Amino acid sequence: MALVSIDGDDLVVVIEGLDKLWALKSSLTIPLANVRGATADPGIAADPKGIRAPGAHLPGVITAGTFHLDGEKVFWDVKNPSKAVVIELADERYTRLVLQVDDPRSTVALIEKALR
Amino acid sequence: MGRRRAFDEDEVVRAAVELFGGRSYDGVSIDDLVNHLGVHRNSLYKTFGSKRGLYLVALRRHLADDVRPLAETLAAATDAATALRLVTSADLGLLLLAAAERAPADEEVATEVTTALATVDQAIADALGIPIDLAAALTATALGLRLRGDPGGAGAALTRRLDPLD
Repeated sequence: MALVSIDGDDLVVVIEGLDKLWALKSSLTIPLANVRGATADPGIAADPKGIRAPGAHLPGVITAGTFHLDGEKVFWDVKNPSKAVVIELADERYTRLVLQVDDPRSTVALIEKALR
Repeated sequence: MGRRRAFDEDEVVRAAVELFGGRSYDGVSIDDLVNHLGVHRNSLYKTFGSKRGLYLVALRRHLADDVRPLAETLAAATDAATALRLVTSADLGLLLLAAAERAPADEEVATEVTTALATVDQAIADALGIPIDLAAALTATALGLRLRGDPGGAGAALTRRLDPLD
């Protein structure tokens, strides 16, 4: 699971617990200027993920780490797809982040409000 | 560089207008958009950034394609009954949903809705030669009739009383 917060002009994502082990990341800091939007998207977990490098993917259990698909690099940290949020980025190492958060609706609202 | 977009953005946005105009914002999932619009999920994110990003593009398209032409048509209205009938019969599904559902929670949507309604008000005021606040009352009445779900019957009853406006 990920904790998403806004710190000044940055979006901060902290990967919690053992997930940081699978994802090989403990946190990401992204300038809000490079955040294009956020969307609650439970259905995304059923889509092809691409090639994992590095990270962990046990279908139905955990998807965590960096995945490459169609020339895009996507960071995943999702165990429970019903709580998945997609954060689209620009000019960043990752094209998008797919994160499991505690409350997708409030996370999306937090990011959208920070972008306006 | 990602792959080239393999879809017609214009068609996708128009389809999104239909989808968002018929259902609440929260009632439209990304799966719904992917299925109805025939666009890959990744392309959708790549192009519009988020569901809200696509919604704003769709809303602006609706205002340009459906509401602005209504304002132009209203310019030819010669009486209040005609203006009322034109507004109640126009395709305003997304505008109505946006006004009721999204505008209170999203100031960018609120601005778009307010501007669009002001355009309609102005068109009615200009066409009928009435004050803008009276035109706004007529617009509000027409939209209210749309929400009632029986615009024909209620509208006809009202138009019989609108002669003094002319």
